[in-house]
Amino acid sequence: MFKLFKKDLILFFHDQRSVILTFLLPVILITLFAFAYGSIGAYDGRSEPVKLLITDMDETMSSKKIIHEIDSLEDIKMIVSDFIKSKELVIKGKYACALIIYKGFQDSLEYGNSTPIELVYDRSREMEIGILQQNLIGTLMSSARDIIIKRSIEKYLHDRFPGMEKGASDNILKSAIKNDNNKPSIKWTSVVGEKNDTKLGLIQAVAGTAILMLLFSVAMVGTSILEEKENGTINRLLYSPLKASTILNSKMLFAFFISVLQLTTMFLFAWLILKMDMNVNIPGLILMIIATSFAVSSLGIFLAAVAKTRQQAQNLSTIIILVMSAIGGSMIPLFIMPPILQKIALLSVNYWGIQGFYDLFWRSLPLEEILPKIIILMSTGVVMTLGSIQLFKKRIMKLQ
Amino acid sequence: MITVRSVSKSFGNIEAVKNVSFNIGKGEIFGILGPNGAGKSTIVNILNTLVKPDTGDVIIDKVNIKDDGEIIKLIIGVVPQEIALYEELSAYENLMFWGGLYGLAKQELKANVARTLGIVDLANRKDDRIKTFSGGMKRRINIACSLLHNPKILILDEPTVGVDPQNRNHIFEVIEKLNKEGMTIIYTTHYMEEAERFCDHIAIIDVGRIMALGTLRELRQISKVRDLLTIKLADTDDETINRITSENPLFSFDRAACTLKVECANIGNDTPVIINQIQNSGGVIEKIYTQGTNLESIYLKLTGKELRD
Repeated sequence: MFKLFKKDLILFFHDQRSVILTFLLPVILITLFAFAYGSIGAYDGRSEPVKLLITDMDETMSSKKIIHEIDSLEDIKMIVSDFIKSKELVIKGKYACALIIYKGFQDSLEYGNSTPIELVYDRSREMEIGILQQNLIGTLMSSARDIIIKRSIEKYLHDRFPGMEKGASDNILKSAIKNDNNKPSIKWTSVVGEKNDTKLGLIQAVAGTAILMLLFSVAMVGTSILEEKENGTINRLLYSPLKASTILNSKMLFAFFISVLQLTTMFLFAWLILKMDMNVNIPGLILMIIATSFAVSSLGIFLAAVAKTRQQAQNLSTIIILVMSAIGGSMIPLFIMPPILQKIALLSVNYWGIQGFYDLFWRSLPLEEILPKIIILMSTGVVMTLGSIQLFKKRIMKLQ
Repeated sequence: MITVRSVSKSFGNIEAVKNVSFNIGKGEIFGILGPNGAGKSTIVNILNTLVKPDTGDVIIDKVNIKDDGEIIKLIIGVVPQEIALYEELSAYENLMFWGGLYGLAKQELKANVARTLGIVDLANRKDDRIKTFSGGMKRRINIACSLLHNPKILILDEPTVGVDPQNRNHIFEVIEKLNKEGMTIIYTTHYMEEAERFCDHIAIIDVGRIMALGTLRELRQISKVRDLLTIKLADTDDETINRITSENPLFSFDRAACTLKVECANIGNDTPVIINQIQNSGGVIEKIYTQGTNLESIYLKLTGKELRD
């Protein structure tokens, strides 16, 4: 069996397409997904600030105060521009939005009219607009409110107490604004992943993509059996003293080995390059890699066993892998899927693999908590292996 | 060396081999001749123990394949019809891999690889990948891979399909060399001239049955196929034709082609006599064609169809 395994290994590394699909492509995809989920390049837990164009046509104390407040926000990078250029830059897609403070802004605050302020934006850039909404509206409201309160009190004191000293009126104003800030609030505390330096998006990118690509590589190993049947090498192997079961076992061992190698490479890459925190339960991680590899490699071989020709196997594998990865959380994180899809996800190998890695890297659960997922993955592997053996005996090893 | 007795094999409703019997002596080249689907590959797979016969016995080198199929695999080398090689590996790597499956010690295997590369005359290309080889060179390595464990019997299944004349001759030389060294060879083909060239005995097989078995001479006698003499006449009137055909009742005349055909027991002796008869009857001979008995005509006579049907 070792000779067959060694031969498959040499053939695998001779085939540049296989090596690229197994190692390089997953690494690229993981990096891309990690970028997409905003999980690399910023380990202080903050995203890149959203850029906001600002046009101040009022140029009063009030407008300058608001601009100053916005400028102090960490999640927003402010760029001052004139009205025409601001609009043009948004239309051209250079910026997501521009805040225009029209002339008469300060007056409207003083007289309680509607404020001439406008946010022009590109609707296709919803995520950036969402971040702006959180920060900008809050800042605008609180700054405008302070200005309105200040103007109202000043007017009241001026009308009622015309001779009041400036120092006294300032103290009253400060006190009024300060007291108004004592609003009730809820304290938000995250209890999952707090001890972990790795971001959830990175775990999703690594585990999800790694399992998806693993399925593709293993399906490729599976279809190589059909390729060997088609080019006659399986028959030639059967002419030798080798037993049919040895040939099949060596293919399965090879698929499992490639799976373990690929998953390990992905996690090493995530650790060394993407700075994923590997301070996790190592025995748990090793068992999860073995269980996931076993389940995925068995599934890949099973798909090849179901098909009659190599072309059929390739088509069938692609469809099943894509569907299973989509519902299992490899492509889209499960938590944003509707409940019904989250239930269907239980049928996919991807789900159990990804959840197991979440348990390890995000929830930092002990081995006994991860064990049920490992058992499910191993059981899936056993069932698929037994099915494959039966099908291969019937279809592949049968001489023409 | 090989005895096949009353062997039959069916796959579902299809009777692939029907009551086949033959003997092959040590050092003999035995040809199995038949079209695709005749049952040649099934017979090869029965001999190689991959397919179990439903009935009958196969005894190879005094061992019944029912008793010990594993030993049989060690004494038989099979050259499959397909080029069953790994294209991404070099010739040397392929040979080391295929030879390694027979449990040879590394040194012995290396020596055998060097020897077989010499036999197929590809030692200078041993480090090149198979995918860079021509079709004929691949066929030669395909043969070499089956020789590494020094088999007593070599089965070649259509080894020259798609091979250019130069490489075909090379393969013929290899087969003849191996046979001279004492190897028993079973050669399946649907090329008549190949069977005629090598085979001591030939089995003509069709729809799973052996239609005829023997040496080429025996097959000629069994089939009663005779040499054929075809004579093209110059434009001749009906009266002359009647005179010629009445002279020899074996003559058959094709009016459209203006040719006379006659089967001869011995074409060398009979031809001058026939020419005299025609000329004496007033016929003018334009051209003469002779066709000796060959496997093609024997096959046609026995099965009623062309081999490449």
